Amino acid sequence: MTIDQVVLSGLIAELVLRQLPCGGWAALASSSQPALEPTCFSALALGLFPGGALGRAQAFLLHTQNPNGSWPAFAGDDTDGAWVTSLAVMALHDVIPAIPARLQGVHWLMSSAGKESNWFWKWKFRTTDRHVRFDPDKFGWPWFPDTVSWVVPTAFAVLALNQLPCSCGGLEQVPFRIERGVEMLLDRVCPDGGWNAGNGVVYGVPVAPHPDDTAIALLALREHGRHPMVQSSVQYLERIAPRLTAPWSLAWAILALAAYGRPIDSLYSSLVALPELPNVDDTSTLALVCLAFDYQRALSALGVTS
Amino acid sequence: MRLTRRDFLVGSAALAAGASVSVPFLLPRYHIDRRPRRSRVAILHAEQYSQELDQTLGGGLRLFSIDVRGKRVVLKPNLVDYAAGDAINTHPLLVLAAAESFRQMGAKSVVVAEGPGHQRDTQLVLSQSAYQESLRDEGIRFVDLNRDELIRTHLRASYMGMRDLWLPRTVLEADFLVSMPKIKTHHWAGVTLSMKNMFGIIPGCRYGWPKNILHWKGIQESILDICATVPIHFVIADGVVAMEGNGPLNGTPRSFGKIVLADDPVAADATCSRLMGIEPSRITHVRAGSDFLGNCAPARIDQVGENLIDAKHPFKLIPGFTYLYKQ
Repeated sequence: MTIDQVVLSGLIAELVLRQLPCGGWAALASSSQPALEPTCFSALALGLFPGGALGRAQAFLLHTQNPNGSWPAFAGDDTDGAWVTSLAVMALHDVIPAIPARLQGVHWLMSSAGKESNWFWKWKFRTTDRHVRFDPDKFGWPWFPDTVSWVVPTAFAVLALNQLPCSCGGLEQVPFRIERGVEMLLDRVCPDGGWNAGNGVVYGVPVAPHPDDTAIALLALREHGRHPMVQSSVQYLERIAPRLTAPWSLAWAILALAAYGRPIDSLYSSLVALPELPNVDDTSTLALVCLAFDYQRALSALGVTS
Repeated sequence: MRLTRRDFLVGSAALAAGASVSVPFLLPRYHIDRRPRRSRVAILHAEQYSQELDQTLGGGLRLFSIDVRGKRVVLKPNLVDYAAGDAINTHPLLVLAAAESFRQMGAKSVVVAEGPGHQRDTQLVLSQSAYQESLRDEGIRFVDLNRDELIRTHLRASYMGMRDLWLPRTVLEADFLVSMPKIKTHHWAGVTLSMKNMFGIIPGCRYGWPKNILHWKGIQESILDICATVPIHFVIADGVVAMEGNGPLNGTPRSFGKIVLADDPVAADATCSRLMGIEPSRITHVRAGSDFLGNCAPARIDQVGENLIDAKHPFKLIPGFTYLYKQ
């Protein structure tokens, strides 16, 4: 076994240890409230090592789906739906009994859109509310209903919808929504490349990008690698990644740069060398580091590569 | 003139319609009154961030009658993002000094808790802004409020039209919550001080990054509802280096040399505003907060430490907020 494999199996063991009796995972190691984001990332990570823990995770996901097809942010949350629906759809990708649940989730995603997709808000953002530079014609997905589109939920929704084998059976609008989502991501890019939450320019001043948001957007835009803003964003990520000292951002950077065929060996070594990885309090981070260690299968699970 | 039955019915209907429209505006939108009879604010002088902050802060805290013995103290700094050389975040040395002081005063536990509003990678912000190492060295626990356990909490005011919010357990179970803002101007709220700092307790995992629902419901309204629901017991505001202009992220650092302590968040924010050359009663959440959360009027604030003098050089504000200046 290589050092990486030893580290990875240790992290997977820690992940399994943190699984709650209900099959889900809490956001923090010290918590017992099952949440969807850590559960989805953990299920994707355990997909690299199928076993009983994965089955319990998938059963938890099926059990927590809302009646409207969406998923809540955590067990016990309100039932109107959340951005984690995209993650749940991806986490259940290879589960045949979950096909109806996934389809319901996709239908909910198709009904969810940033508030600026409505004509009234479009008009407002064009006329009176112009502090943040963006084109309201280009809309994606919000974190939660009744708010505007943001980069991360849009990128995850594009990734989830890209996994559909066809756009038939009531899903004819999928290509349109993916196209709008891609346009929205390209519209919200920071002037020198990279993305933050979604405010590239505020009051005429460029706002700095974030490495994790950039990496997630780049994964969603893998098919648009020749676009100049995508290329400058890859360059931004290449510049900033060697300086990253936090596992969450470093893991996302490895996944994105690997997807674009950039060298990641030194980043990989940096990730292995981070101290106390198994003790990371945030379980989503722990799962994501596992995915980064096995990035080829992770990119396949996210639908970025076949 | 004779009043017909028809006139009576039409008149009654008009009266009922008028009442149904106007009563919601006349009734108070808060369900508590937390105003103390008098509030105490201390302005301390501190030229720079150094180990001497321990002494400065310790001396300042002795100007108040604080009893934290056996209590769970939660320090809520303003930790938003990191950019080298910028005055975006509450300085970690001030947070460490506060933690040490409350430990010495007998607190059962001292926790630092924050949920950054833009940056999803809290650990990256912590490590870049030197918090991670400092807290680890001092054995102080940090809780990421964006991912803490959540409890549905009924709001104690109704400015933004929501009945409840999901709020972090760590904050709700605190016996003594200390808001530790960075003194800054803010391009949507005018200023960001101890009350606006409470936006950071809203969990990103439930409301997103940024916490966009609060912007849609109204920033000033959200501040009031949050502060009504989660009481701030004490304020330590970092104005050693403050920020003016296009805050909270892209403003200009300003050496200000002050730390403001207060036992009342409205009094703290009113005093900070006056120091910034801003009229506090023109800041919506400070003015409305003075109806039920604390004192804004100088006559009800006991000023200790440095004197409150009129700002010779008011903080720069972006054009949309120049109406906040004292005339």
